[in-house]
Amino acid sequence: MTGSETQPGLLTDTVLFCRALREHGLVVTPAEAITAVATLNLIDLDDRQETFLSLRSALTSRVEDFPVFEELFEDFWSRLKPKFGKTVERDALSAGARQVRLSSQGHRPKGLAFFLEHWGCDRPGDKEPIKAPGASSAENAAEKDFSLFGADELEEVARLARRIAKRLARNPSRRWKPVARGPRIDLRRSLRKSLKTGGEIIALSFRQRKQKKTRLVVICDVSGSMDLYSRLLLQFVYGLQNSFARVETFVFSTSLERITAHLKDRSYEQALERLSTNIQQPGWPGCGWSGGTLIGPSIAAFNSGWPGLVNQRTIVIILSDGWDTGEPEELAASLADLKRRAGKLIWLNPLLGGPAYQPLVRGMQAALPHIDVFAPLNNLASLRRLERHLIL
Amino acid sequence: MREEIRNIQELLRRQTYITDAAVATSLYLAMALGKPLLVEGPAGVGKTEVAKSLADALDTKLVRLQCYEGLDAAAALYEWNYSKQLLHIKLQEATAASAAEKEAAIFSESFLLKRPLLEAITHQTRSPVLLIDEVDRSDEEFEAFLLEVLSEFQVTIPEIGPIKATHRPYVVLTSNRSRDLSDALRRRCLYLWIDYPSFDKELEIVRAKIPAISEALSADLTRVIQAVRKLNMVKVPGVAETLDWAAALLALNTQQLDPEVIAETAGCFLKDEADLRKFETELGDGRLKEMLSPVS
Repeated sequence: MTGSETQPGLLTDTVLFCRALREHGLVVTPAEAITAVATLNLIDLDDRQETFLSLRSALTSRVEDFPVFEELFEDFWSRLKPKFGKTVERDALSAGARQVRLSSQGHRPKGLAFFLEHWGCDRPGDKEPIKAPGASSAENAAEKDFSLFGADELEEVARLARRIAKRLARNPSRRWKPVARGPRIDLRRSLRKSLKTGGEIIALSFRQRKQKKTRLVVICDVSGSMDLYSRLLLQFVYGLQNSFARVETFVFSTSLERITAHLKDRSYEQALERLSTNIQQPGWPGCGWSGGTLIGPSIAAFNSGWPGLVNQRTIVIILSDGWDTGEPEELAASLADLKRRAGKLIWLNPLLGGPAYQPLVRGMQAALPHIDVFAPLNNLASLRRLERHLIL
Repeated sequence: MREEIRNIQELLRRQTYITDAAVATSLYLAMALGKPLLVEGPAGVGKTEVAKSLADALDTKLVRLQCYEGLDAAAALYEWNYSKQLLHIKLQEATAASAAEKEAAIFSESFLLKRPLLEAITHQTRSPVLLIDEVDRSDEEFEAFLLEVLSEFQVTIPEIGPIKATHRPYVVLTSNRSRDLSDALRRRCLYLWIDYPSFDKELEIVRAKIPAISEALSADLTRVIQAVRKLNMVKVPGVAETLDWAAALLALNTQQLDPEVIAETAGCFLKDEADLRKFETELGDGRLKEMLSPVS
């Protein structure tokens, strides 16, 4: 052991290091600082790798923290061991840590910002992805159109998605179901069973509320005209899917693609990175946007390709502006078919938020008779209102 | 490197768990500081195995709590054995014991069904390893409850009173990041990220777990797996898949990898239809040679 008494210099350095980490967005409270100091007493301080690994274990709490930690550790180490100076070589392990560096030099909570920067950035005709507005007052943030959203406000969208997901997940039915062990005793069944043992209750029966198994199917238009919105809405869907298992996600422009698996079981950035690399490959709907939008055929393709996904316990959400280059009759027929099987059909249209908007687009006109809820989705307020529609 | 860390690494190696300095250091600190260790990483890199091997290495019991949606305190901590209590009441009916005595009798420890968390803190002889597997699958309420148990290692049962751990368990939590864990839980834990292994480490794992396989074949198959991980698959194969494949190749008595054998056995490490198709086109394009050529 290097010494059970921590040297004062080391203590100051460690506290400064912790503070620097905190300033860079890591969750490092005094409790972590104490752990860090305790850690340093337990290890061999002459071993750079060991110090690095130990402090990383104590002071980071997610892999996204690693790049920041690694950079700041350099400073800490050079202060701790001035004799090595800056010539200290990065060891193999810190190289490993660099591998998990998740694109963009930007650090944590920047998932959405990252997404917006990288989404289809190689697409032709994409001059400026999104204009981040200047300072915005809190009051009008809820009313601000998504197309004007800056990175910070996008975090709010993700938060909202999680809240809605939680509500969907915890949706107890009025019916009961018998369970082996549960919160409530099922008196009727217990008494009934006791007849076998001559009226003596030996084994208890339990019951609990059934869970409503609502499923969500989101079909998102990613064509050129929806560009600004679809990035954001897919982000919203990612948030939903992240905290609620029964979400299926599709994107379409001229063809339909299921992207559920691409959003699943991954960290924020990983999923988005994967999506944005895939979406630039030929054959992906995102690339077919120049050919116009074929809503009708896309929905028909969904109907025939994934019939099992939709039943009376399913809420289908279509996110589109209704600018369809296909035949309105085809759209109407496919929507009617979908409506027949789905519990609820919601059409969210970002353009509807504009005060002067009338659903005069031919496609939209054809679609209206088959839709349960036709709502705007262009700002946070409309996203919040969506919450109450998501109940069957 | 400290002796203790080297020892841990050596002990784990003896359990055929091949590890690196990061894992050994984190385990050492978790034990020395008495803090839970949160292990994250992609599926199939051996997160659960860390706890299992640790228990084997320390020759102590592994108590496992598998998390799932809807897991509640009753399933994780304790329950009363209702049927035994009812029977006991029945048997006591004839005796002259007072109601209070009868009640005290049926709420004693022998009527308690210990679930993993309680079992872990009531171990009498030595500290067990408590594995809380896939904690991201549980609900947030359960996470809060877990925090309480993990900070105090004490549980209060209303009818009995507080039960405090005599031997604090070594706690390992694993998460697949299907949901973001709360900062509060993360802060309580030391953090360890396990990534897909490097070529050398993975080869060592294959050699250690399946010693019967030839050296050349194990190197080749590891190279293929490493190349497959770079193909942007929907389901990236983990170490478990590598081992499955190695075992399958061994069972088929394969001497050398060629496109046919790989295509026949690709189901061992690719579990998604789109991935399989993608991989087959890659194989068809003659990429195999490229995969098998030893890259630095």
